[in-house]
Amino acid sequence: MKRYLMRWEVLLLGLLVLELLVFGFINPRFLRPSSMLFGTSDFVQVGIVAVPLTFVIIAGGIDVSFASTVGLCAITFGIANFFGLPLPVALLVGFATGALAGLLNATIIRLTGLQPLVVTLGSLYMFSGAATVLSGVVGANGYEGIGGFPAAFTALGYAQIFGLPMPLFVFLSFSAVLLVLLHLTRFGRLVFQIGQNENAARHSGMPVARVQMLTYVMTGVAAALAGVMLSAYFGSARVDLGSATLLPAITAAVLGGASIYGGQGSVLGTIIATFIIGYLQQGLQMSGVPSQISSALSGALLVLVVALRHGAALLRDIIPVRTRQID
Amino acid sequence: MLERIARDRIATLFLVTVAVLLAVGLAAPGFLAPRTASIIWSNGLVLMLVALGIFPVILTRNIDVSGGSILGLSAVTLGLSLNAGIAMPVAISMALGAGIAAGALNGFLVAVLGVPSIVATLGTLGLFRGVMLITTGGEWIEDLPEPLKMLGARSFAGLSVVGIVAAVAILVVWLFLRSRRGRWVMVTGDNRAAARHLGLPVKRIEFLAFVWAGVMASVAGITFAAQIGFVPNQAGSGIELRAIAALVLGGVSLLGGVGSVAGVVIGVIFFTSIDTTLVFLKIPAYWNDLIGGAMLLGVLLIDGRLRIALEARDRAARYRRGDQTSSTTRKLEDAA
Repeated sequence: MKRYLMRWEVLLLGLLVLELLVFGFINPRFLRPSSMLFGTSDFVQVGIVAVPLTFVIIAGGIDVSFASTVGLCAITFGIANFFGLPLPVALLVGFATGALAGLLNATIIRLTGLQPLVVTLGSLYMFSGAATVLSGVVGANGYEGIGGFPAAFTALGYAQIFGLPMPLFVFLSFSAVLLVLLHLTRFGRLVFQIGQNENAARHSGMPVARVQMLTYVMTGVAAALAGVMLSAYFGSARVDLGSATLLPAITAAVLGGASIYGGQGSVLGTIIATFIIGYLQQGLQMSGVPSQISSALSGALLVLVVALRHGAALLRDIIPVRTRQID
Repeated sequence: MLERIARDRIATLFLVTVAVLLAVGLAAPGFLAPRTASIIWSNGLVLMLVALGIFPVILTRNIDVSGGSILGLSAVTLGLSLNAGIAMPVAISMALGAGIAAGALNGFLVAVLGVPSIVATLGTLGLFRGVMLITTGGEWIEDLPEPLKMLGARSFAGLSVVGIVAAVAILVVWLFLRSRRGRWVMVTGDNRAAARHLGLPVKRIEFLAFVWAGVMASVAGITFAAQIGFVPNQAGSGIELRAIAALVLGGVSLLGGVGSVAGVVIGVIFFTSIDTTLVFLKIPAYWNDLIGGAMLLGVLLIDGRLRIALEARDRAARYRRGDQTSSTTRKLEDAA
């Protein structure tokens, strides 16, 4: 029992409940089921990229390029639609772009043996540049975006499935699949073991390169999913659709318990952390706090939680010595 | 030839920069003038200062991505206190104080609490930007006084006051890294555990590196305000990533302990000259990111492959020497 209660995810869940109670106290309208349910459409895209990002981080890498991949995929999808391709083909183009972006990252990291942060930093620029240039191709200059999607598609952004708004449903089902993949399959164990010790994994014959490549490709595909979903939600594909997800997504993964050094993390933690971050911003806005302050507070939240975790680890290093003396 | 390129990254980058500039000069006459050099220098000042600040942090094998927000925070501190009628020297020292405080917070989180630097500074990136927006109430600071703008204007020999400050900063970092204590920074980044066992104050070195990054980011903030003449909300956002990219391009290893001031300077100049030449060639600004990113990835790819190839060759050479010695011993054994 204690084993389950002491888990990081339980602590996060407690934090989430506490947060909801505090905001409910400040503004009772915040706790209305409909506003809580439909408010999620504003932040679930963060979770959609944060969950596969957790895989990348656990496997010992990092990816910051997803923030522009979201926009790039939305743009290629929008262009395919603009040139009259049927919707399924256009969707395929968008997802293929995402997969290729992930594949490019993984290939360059593999070929150069450089730190993933450097490589994906370069592709962060390149993808957003490519998206801007591409959107210029169809005459949608700058940030106004590519519109003209079929009405059936934009209606999807506001559709409901089993009473859940579409974006939330997509996020939950997508992360449920990844939850099973990470914690219950052979592939998931490989991800953890490679992150724990890459050399040991290689020497024991694990397909290190292939697994790491898959984690990057997954992030690319998830970015495409987020891009397509946001295009449906906003009714137009824009270059900067994903730029606001960069920090919250990394925050969600780290807050959710992923260690930046690899080998640790959980999908459930990232999911809960996504809701913590999302509701924090929304609750602050509903309590009349300007959005600038809420960004400061979510930054402070990340610093505080991580400092607490490391401070607790420091304390644990000190305390056992004292207990031994008492014994 | 390959060896020369891989071993001397800075010279190669310098040659490539010169070649690019010459090519642009051929395509667009009038580009190769002393004025262009002065434009590139002043365009690159802010990036140069931020990069010089992050440089020692990366040398200690940490990273600081909060530079852009510290820049904005100091620029706002400067702007608000100047517009409140505070004298310029006081206002500038208040801006520097903001930078020192911000850097000290980063340093405390990383060196004392042991939070991974990327996570800590990502958090403070949001935190500092938020604090900045709260103090301004989300509004731009305009009508900065004339004396401040004079700091950014070219006064003599095509150099501005802030330009001279940046040159002095380059000199200071160069001299410091040659000094005894400067080598400590390199040692800490190269092998932290070994440095600790040698008796170096590892935590203090890391802490001070972050404080230095904060100070330089606030000098960059002052430079920004002086050059632009107003402080927008987004002042400096994203510049930390550009600075890190320029550092990597200049041969600074993110694994710590490797890098030179010359590399930093040439990396920044390379990045700035790309932007400047694009403007000169009248290529629309939205191509900047694509070309900059592709060039960065290209350089990384070539550099990484060359390094791997060289290592393989060195290893092969070692094996060959090993073979020779073993064959000579075999001959001796045969003779015996």
